[in-house]
Amino acid sequence: MRRLWKVFLFVFVSAAAIALLVFILVRLTPEPPVETIDLARNALAQAVKDKAETYSRKQYGEAKALFDSAMSSWQRENERFIYFRDFDKVLSFADQSIKKSNEASATAISNSSNLKSRISQKLKDLNNLLKENQDLFSTYPLTSEVRHRISKGKILLQEAEVAYEKGQYLPANRKLTDAEYLLTESFNTASANRKDYFRSYSTWKKWMDNTISDSRKNHDYAIIVDKYSRKCFVYLSGTLKHQFTAELGKNWVGDKRVKGDMATPEGMYKVTRKLEGSKTKYYKALLLDYPNEKDKARFREEIENGSLPRNAKIGGLIEIHGDGGKGIDWTEGCVALTNKEMDILYRLAKVGTPVTIVGSTVDLHNVATR
Amino acid sequence: MGIAAIAMVAMLSSCGKKPQAEIDAANAAIEAAKTAEASVYVPAEFAALQDSMTAIMADIAAQESKLFKKFGPAKENLVSTVTLANTVAANAATKKEEVKKETEALMTEIKAVVEENVALMKKAPRGKEGAAVLEAMKTDMAAIEAAIVEAQGMYDGGKFMDANNKVKAAKEQATGINTELKEAIAKVKR
Repeated sequence: MRRLWKVFLFVFVSAAAIALLVFILVRLTPEPPVETIDLARNALAQAVKDKAETYSRKQYGEAKALFDSAMSSWQRENERFIYFRDFDKVLSFADQSIKKSNEASATAISNSSNLKSRISQKLKDLNNLLKENQDLFSTYPLTSEVRHRISKGKILLQEAEVAYEKGQYLPANRKLTDAEYLLTESFNTASANRKDYFRSYSTWKKWMDNTISDSRKNHDYAIIVDKYSRKCFVYLSGTLKHQFTAELGKNWVGDKRVKGDMATPEGMYKVTRKLEGSKTKYYKALLLDYPNEKDKARFREEIENGSLPRNAKIGGLIEIHGDGGKGIDWTEGCVALTNKEMDILYRLAKVGTPVTIVGSTVDLHNVATR
Repeated sequence: MGIAAIAMVAMLSSCGKKPQAEIDAANAAIEAAKTAEASVYVPAEFAALQDSMTAIMADIAAQESKLFKKFGPAKENLVSTVTLANTVAANAATKKEEVKKETEALMTEIKAVVEENVALMKKAPRGKEGAAVLEAMKTDMAAIEAAIVEAQGMYDGGKFMDANNKVKAAKEQATGINTELKEAIAKVKR
């Protein structure tokens, strides 16, 4: 009995000692960084939700790399004997990852919000620019290249709007940048071209003043054609009596230089012949004395200085004629009116009636603001 | 006795094997979801899937750190992740198909609008500044047609989202021209 008691006591004490030892060993096991890793993972997930991958790529990349380092470091420690494990590095990486993720989130929120408002403003600005310039250049003969670029810019602007509405700010911004380049560059080219066109305004002004003054002095009719506004003004004794819509040569910007350039000449001319019936193919016509002496002198100068080829011809047969009303500049350099308006003008004009063709009757500033 | 205890600890600590097969299966399923363009068509779902995998890997690492490992819950979660990844891939495919169908519909619609615009241009008034405006519209129409060709190229290349954006923008432009033309024609009829 006593022996049995001794065995029992031995087993009990041994078991207790082993249990105590196991307890101590378990207690001595280094604590894995579960909570910190969990915090780091959540911070990273939040950064993804805040679109840091898109709007704060660098910071997000660093946060992700730090988290991956924490995980690899943890795995490496796990491969070591349990009591030799040290999770300090894991904790350090995880802590840095949390910090970087939070920074990435904040940056992404701020960047996307700023980008959103910037795009919204730019969309408004570009739409305004488009509207203003479309009104300004709706009847100005832009080159086909400029028109093509404007059309492409308009499509890109629309694409930017679609992307913006879908919350895709980066693609929206890229499209907007391309649209802005195309539109501003095109309108700048057109504006520069128009500014260049208006360089002769002071000369035009002199011609107009002289024409109106002569009409007043002679108590007679005078015709002024404003190419920019496509108007044909009829004066009697210096007073405006009629105003018609005119259509011009396809390439009306700038003075006529050579035969076939489709430009409407600028200068002070006179009606040399009145044509109707079988004598004209455009209903009725007033033939002008283009080229006049000034046109001829300039043409010779251009031939001499080589800006025109030796075999170039100055052209002629510039008229104010009927068959207009097409709504487009279609003539080869003449001024076209509707037949109804041509009837009026034909009745009023006679051989010798002054016809002054100017680029514009108002200056660039007033053209731009009217 | 001490040695016995350490041996016991070593034995216990080596119990439970890392569920490598399940991890590989889950990773393969996530990769399949990625290939199905889940990150493009269902980005939020794909991010959640990736986060869930990261959480499981953290749990596995935590179990590996313990003296008494227990991989049962992680195994179950990995199996769920495979299911989730398959669902995400399927959702991505559905969304992609939706975008594809929407793009196809938009393509058909825009082609009809463009055709209508060509017909309307012939009827549009040419007097006053009408013809000049029509000339500008023709250039715009050419740009729209070029955008449709570009969108078709994107569509053929499987970039349905990009094609969708492009064709939507082109359709807006074409519809704008259509409205302008109809208004101009209506004014003349009045």
